[in-house]
Amino acid sequence: MHPTGLAAAAGTARQPAKRRIPVSQPGMADPHQLFDDTSSAQSRGYGAPRAPSSLGYPAASTSPQAAFLADPVSNMAMAYGSSLAAQGKELVDKNIDRFFPVSKLKYYFAVDTVYVGKKLGLLVFPYLHQDWEVQYQQDTPVAPRFDINAPDLYIPAMAFITYVLVAGLALGTQDRFSPDLLGLQASSALAWLALEVLAILLSLYLVTINTDLTTIDLVAFLGYKYVGMISGVLTGLLFGKIGYYLVLGWCCTSIFVFMIRTLRLKILAEAAAEGVPVRGARNQLRMYLTMAVAAAQPLLMYWLTFHLVR
Amino acid sequence: MAFTLYSLLQAALLCVNAIAVLHEERFLKNIGWGTDQGIGGFGEEPGIKSQLMNLIRSVRTVMRVPLILVNSIVILLLLLFG
Repeated sequence: MHPTGLAAAAGTARQPAKRRIPVSQPGMADPHQLFDDTSSAQSRGYGAPRAPSSLGYPAASTSPQAAFLADPVSNMAMAYGSSLAAQGKELVDKNIDRFFPVSKLKYYFAVDTVYVGKKLGLLVFPYLHQDWEVQYQQDTPVAPRFDINAPDLYIPAMAFITYVLVAGLALGTQDRFSPDLLGLQASSALAWLALEVLAILLSLYLVTINTDLTTIDLVAFLGYKYVGMISGVLTGLLFGKIGYYLVLGWCCTSIFVFMIRTLRLKILAEAAAEGVPVRGARNQLRMYLTMAVAAAQPLLMYWLTFHLVR
Repeated sequence: MAFTLYSLLQAALLCVNAIAVLHEERFLKNIGWGTDQGIGGFGEEPGIKSQLMNLIRSVRTVMRVPLILVNSIVILLLLLFG
């Protein structure tokens, strides 16, 4: 897998010049580190120019400034001020983590080009993929960079923005464009997403399903349909209504299969683990819920795009 | 497409208001959805109906005071700005 990954990466036009941890490395050195650590290089780079500049400063600057910098009291004040700033930063970080899970969000953006390529391929052709389980490493899920089954927020976010731009493009080709329509499209798609998330959370609560499916996971899974929508609208722009319906139909069925196979592992965890076909009232209800969630995706994909292709 | 975030917020506020005005004694008890009628056995499966009753009771308890505030603000804004 490692050579094919490199070949795929080399085939792309723009190759990011960052160090990528190879997947075949045994033990996956430091799995809790989501991003490559560049802080040491940064501090080394900044430490060197700072020393000569501070030496040069008192000589080059005017005398009141030099006196200010050399005064021990102001040195103490600067040290106190910097420690106060560090404390304040710590306080802000701690409190903002309570309201807005920034550290958890970082996990969803730990992706690289190979993952994005493979995931996009999986979204349009999920029929040959065998193993849909998310790998775990000491009780925490592995970063999306190392596991193609892990949900991420990069693709949904980018796909949403691309959808809004493509919608503007489509409206422009029909001479129906005005700048506030872009905001309307974005707001409408976001409102449908919020409604979907709320409806699914409500039904998960009512049927008392205990899953490890967090809200952010749900947003990530529901955001994958924008990829199909974009390809449908672009094909509709290039090849007319026939192309739009063909590509949209294909993407609808693949998103349907993708959602069922992914949600089955989360919602129907016990039954899916054994591989037994679902039986019994409780499992049946969960299966209906999975099918309903998956069936809502093609409906929404059609509803949000049909007015763009005339 | 006129379905915006603002209309979603309006719909959510109206729905929560609708849940909050369900009267405990005059209505919910008469259709068997009262809070003291929902305590079934101690089985593992609460069932959809008891989950719904729990949800209604908790929404009514939690959202009573915030709803007063939010409704007053919305009424004021609608009066001022139409």
